[in-house]
Amino acid sequence: MTIRPVDETPEQLDELASEYVLGTLSADQRSAVQQRLPDDAELRTAVDTWERRLLGLTDFAQPHTPSPALWQRIERSVNALTRQPAAPAVEPSSWWNRLALWRGLAGAGLAATLLLGALLLTQTTVKPTYLVVLVAPQDKAPGWVISASNPREIQLIPLGVAQVPEDKALEFWTKAEGWQGPVSLGLVKPGQTLSVPVDKLPPLQPDQLFELTLENRTGSPIGKPTGPIQFIGRAVKVI
Amino acid sequence: MPEPVFDYEAHLAACGRGERQALRDLYVQESPRLLGVARRLVRDTALAEDIVHDAFLKIWAGAAGFDPARGSARGWMFSVTRHLALNFIRDNRREIQGDIDVQNDAETFDAQVHSSRIHLCLEQLDPARRSCILHAYVDGYSHAQISNKLGTPLGTVKAWIKRSLTALRECMG
Repeated sequence: MTIRPVDETPEQLDELASEYVLGTLSADQRSAVQQRLPDDAELRTAVDTWERRLLGLTDFAQPHTPSPALWQRIERSVNALTRQPAAPAVEPSSWWNRLALWRGLAGAGLAATLLLGALLLTQTTVKPTYLVVLVAPQDKAPGWVISASNPREIQLIPLGVAQVPEDKALEFWTKAEGWQGPVSLGLVKPGQTLSVPVDKLPPLQPDQLFELTLENRTGSPIGKPTGPIQFIGRAVKVI
Repeated sequence: MPEPVFDYEAHLAACGRGERQALRDLYVQESPRLLGVARRLVRDTALAEDIVHDAFLKIWAGAAGFDPARGSARGWMFSVTRHLALNFIRDNRREIQGDIDVQNDAETFDAQVHSSRIHLCLEQLDPARRSCILHAYVDGYSHAQISNKLGTPLGTVKAWIKRSLTALRECMG
């Protein structure tokens, strides 16, 4: 929180508000005003009044029709914002006894944290263009993160060591909209970080599906997933 | 026939209740103008679309907390968009004279006929001072960039803007 300068006169406050709305303040001055706004009713009123006065100047900018993709992007982001946590399990016990609910909540929070963490981690090197959090379908517990920072390969990063029966293996699949069926990206060892070349595939798309299924040790015999899904997620484009 | 009046307040209130269609209607109604405003400020269409994307998320998330006493819903949508764009250009453009090509500015300020009060008040300003206000509000130029663009000393530009804002306040009420 920023405290208003003690010697600020009403004229100075109005001047600050006017130049904030006009746009001529520096980055530092702008962020100082934005920090004051929630707690400073006088400044807020002055800013609102100036917004109202100058709004008509927006007429000078020529309207520009957005690309059709923009609304789809907004819709997806709104969906992600408003997505409900996993439905609680059906046991008749009290809600606080429902392990699935707690797992789901922890999972949802953790998934968000992981996305942010992955973003922060990769920010210093190469910013990924897509991120996917793969979660267990039953309790939404996150198990893996996929980060795609170049068009040639994706990184599959484990968040724990998944339990796989002796005679089984995890197989990695992807499917984008319009594809005939999922394409195998190979077998995955629990707990192992894997770089998967994807240069033979079409470019990644938003909402592209990724999943890990439980298959025979040599992988699915038919080139399509046959076993149960262990982890699943969809690609989110990083803004 | 008069144009049917679009009820921004009602649509925003519906967004606040989680009605997606209301957000879609607001988007259809205003996205070209909002994108136009953002594009003029950031000078890049893809970047401007990013700004409008973020603005609509803010509008969706802030709809329930919107206070109609603070101003019009339509005005708020423009304020949200403009300030996201202004934050971006202030954070990302180096504030040195001439760092953007202000000389080859293709777009001008003679748009359609403007009848609203602000345009009548603008008319009363000296043309050079009017340019200062428009370059700041519409183009997002800093004091230094305006000084560079108009070939007027920085101190003079600052004083003109201050006085023009005072004159606009008197004229607009």
